[in-house]
Amino acid sequence: MIVVNTETIPGYQIVELKGMVQGNTVRAKHAGRDIAASFKNLVGGELKGYTELLTESRREAVERMMAQARQLGANAILNVRFSTSAITAGAAELYAYGTAAIVSKIE
Amino acid sequence: MDLIIQLLILMPIGFFFGRAAERKHIKSLEEREKACEGFFVSDLRTFPGISDASREPKMLTGEVTIASDYYKRFAGGLRNFFGGEMKSYVSLMSRARREATLRIIEEARAEGYNAVCNLRLDSADIGGSATTNKASVMVSILASATAYNTNDQAQ
Repeated sequence: MIVVNTETIPGYQIVELKGMVQGNTVRAKHAGRDIAASFKNLVGGELKGYTELLTESRREAVERMMAQARQLGANAILNVRFSTSAITAGAAELYAYGTAAIVSKIE
Repeated sequence: MDLIIQLLILMPIGFFFGRAAERKHIKSLEEREKACEGFFVSDLRTFPGISDASREPKMLTGEVTIASDYYKRFAGGLRNFFGGEMKSYVSLMSRARREATLRIIEEARAEGYNAVCNLRLDSADIGGSATTNKASVMVSILASATAYNTNDQAQ
């Protein structure tokens, strides 16, 4: 499946639009990571645990969005956007959305 | 007593370790940016100068979370009282953005692409500072872009 955050795919044409697809997830890290993060807040530097949390959440949200697109019979998702919301400390909601479409190569 | 501990122990720790961490990060950013010279990055929605339309473009993402240190938070608190630019946080934000962008570029290079377009930078709020009190200062940046191949470097 072709997933892009642009509105078009060069070399391909849109055959049929299937509508908007979306996926979301709320994830948290275990308390140990939160404690480690509060120590890091003293000395500065990257919070690897939270970076990982974002990567996992993003992957999960995109995975769910792609599953929905597959169910619609699409082979591409265009114009993917991400949005986040703060629910509580140490957790993040990640929401991915895009437009599912059937595309074909231009000969 | 608490105040004495904060001023005498936590402040120097935050100041020295925080400054060392920041310098190390900026140095690594500069080195890696140099290594990625010639890579074409844009936030255009089209694919400027695309050369190989037979290869599928691919969306890539990059994430990073960086914490501020105790000293900067203290300095930020003072600045908040007097007003003006919070310089220590400006560099924190720009470091996070550069890092997230670099992660995308490095991933794109590893997969054999030489350009990205439609780069988007968003921020996330993991610390929950929007919902709870500002006990810790951290910044999360989410970057996304579409990687493709171009032959024209001088766009």
